[in-house]
Amino acid sequence: MAEILALDDVLDATVLIGKILTKKGHSVHSFTEEDEAIAYARTHKIDLAILDIKLKKMSGVEVLGMLKATTPEMRAIMLTGYPTVETAREAISLGADEYCVKPIDRDELEEKVEKVLKASGKKSSITV
Amino acid sequence: MEPVSELKYVKVFQKVTKLMSMALDHQQVMDTIVRELPALLDIDAATIRLLDASTGSFVLGAAHGLSMEYLSRNQIDTDKTMTMIHSGRPVASVNVDQTAQGTDKELVDQEGIKSVLTLPILFQDSVIGILRLLTRRHRLFTPDEISFSMALAEQVGIAIANGRMFTEMENQIDFMQEMQKISSLVNSTLDLNAVLQIIVNRLPRSMGCKACTIRLLRPENNQLELVASSGLSEGYQQRGQVENEHNIAVALTGAPVSIYDVSHDERVSYKEDMEKEGIKSLLAVPIKVKGEVIGIIRVLSATSHCFTSSEINFAATMAEIGGAAIQNARTYQKITLLFNQVEESERFVANILNCIRPQLVVVDRQQHIVLTNRVFIAAMNKEENELLGADYHSLWQENHCARENCPVEQVLQTGMAASYEHQVMKDDGPHWVERTASPMLDERGEVEFVIEVIRDITAKRQLAQEHLERVKLQGVVELAGTVAHEINSPLFAALGTAQLLEEDLDSTELIADVQTIIRNLKAIGALTQKMTSMTGFESRDYVGETKIGELR
Repeated sequence: MAEILALDDVLDATVLIGKILTKKGHSVHSFTEEDEAIAYARTHKIDLAILDIKLKKMSGVEVLGMLKATTPEMRAIMLTGYPTVETAREAISLGADEYCVKPIDRDELEEKVEKVLKASGKKSSITV
Repeated sequence: MEPVSELKYVKVFQKVTKLMSMALDHQQVMDTIVRELPALLDIDAATIRLLDASTGSFVLGAAHGLSMEYLSRNQIDTDKTMTMIHSGRPVASVNVDQTAQGTDKELVDQEGIKSVLTLPILFQDSVIGILRLLTRRHRLFTPDEISFSMALAEQVGIAIANGRMFTEMENQIDFMQEMQKISSLVNSTLDLNAVLQIIVNRLPRSMGCKACTIRLLRPENNQLELVASSGLSEGYQQRGQVENEHNIAVALTGAPVSIYDVSHDERVSYKEDMEKEGIKSLLAVPIKVKGEVIGIIRVLSATSHCFTSSEINFAATMAEIGGAAIQNARTYQKITLLFNQVEESERFVANILNCIRPQLVVVDRQQHIVLTNRVFIAAMNKEENELLGADYHSLWQENHCARENCPVEQVLQTGMAASYEHQVMKDDGPHWVERTASPMLDERGEVEFVIEVIRDITAKRQLAQEHLERVKLQGVVELAGTVAHEINSPLFAALGTAQLLEEDLDSTELIADVQTIIRNLKAIGALTQKMTSMTGFESRDYVGETKIGELR
């Protein structure tokens, strides 16, 4: 049972993430606005953040940096519809645990979340 | 000693007249007179001195019965005697051994001279010389003897004058011929050194002299420089500067200077050097060009020589002819130098033109080709002499470039630079050329020539085409990336929702329908993944330095 923050500029995507992970017993807080998500994370404990890279005002990588600055132990999975080596390298350097390409399969998402939460406290295992 | 009888006078006069009539020139007359008179007049020695009009002094013409020491003394006679002589009157000195003073007395005593009859040699009432009759015993000259001697001296004067005239005429003819030869020689070449050498070789030979030098003023510092010489030793030529010599200074003012005795003349600085070199007399004449003195010619004689007016004129004329030839040779040298410089400049410009890669052609107002570079000649596949002067438009085919588009034509019409691009067919296919024409204006601001530069821009055009295609491709790829990104998020939502729905459904039929949806959404997902794999083309910021296109 983990506290998960989902941030995507597409509302349906956040809703979907919420539905999938809620079914798995997690508590999911979905946002489409970066400011609201960051503000929430400052006042609430977050175990895992699932961040889209392409957001409305800033990039998911920047949001990751800000969240990690306040909660270094927080885990993170990056989602993107347009993967690039650059964004992957930057996300990892900021402490992202997974870098997934949309459209991600439901099973794959569940697996990645479980894997990241289990590995909590360990170093990122992904490679680009 | 007995006075000479009247009969003897007649005989002496006859003999002298005969001698004079047989003599060929005035020197021979003088030599004969001084040699024969002592025996005829019962005297011991005789001298003839001639007036040097340039200095007013009497110079030795001939002598007999006297030593060189005596003849070389500074003063001929007392001032009183010389004044009398100048006034045309004879002077008889019976006791010169007693009246002479100083060094003259020593020489007179040494020579044993006791009495002297000094007679002016007159010609047309002018004193032209002195005849001196000397005895080594005291002798009284009677009025008849003096009168006879005066008549004799006058005969001598006539003979000398006639001889001089004859010699002068002979000389003038010789000089005319020489002048013609030398003039012809110096005008046969434009080589300055050859001109100078001809003058220094021929001039002394023509005048019966030993040597000749030419000094020219250097235009840059106005200093005289010895440029040619003949008949002189190297040591003599190196004796030192001669600018300060009076004879040179006078000659530089434009007047000729004749010096009978260089060893005693104050107008000469290097007396000892001249004596050592065997030079007795000299003539310095200015070399003039259009009235301006450009140098000096000096003619040097090995024998004591009083340069006559015709000799001086000859030398001066030769100097003038030489001056003109020298000037011509110098002008030719300058022209040759300038011509070489122009040629060098032309070669330099031609090299530059030939080294530049584009074709270059210069056309005059009548549209004739006046200049091309090597690249143009090669492009036209013609010889340079075929192109130069050819009609410019004959080189271009109308289908390549219509005359109204021709940039050269436009420059000639408007006076402004013009450019035009068109295709030409070559062996390896069509080529694009860019022709840029620029005006070259004359002093009135009108187009005098048109310079056209022709470049083959085929490669440039191909590059531009390739760039255009690359941009188009880039657009396509960016569009693919954008589409992939914009589709993936909703696709993710749709696919996930469909999968959740599948789980919630009970109806087999509905589950099958949802599975169809899921399968097709996955197919779309696979397609978008292929599209996203085409990376590297961006058009706007995405994340970091990544860019994607905006889908509208």
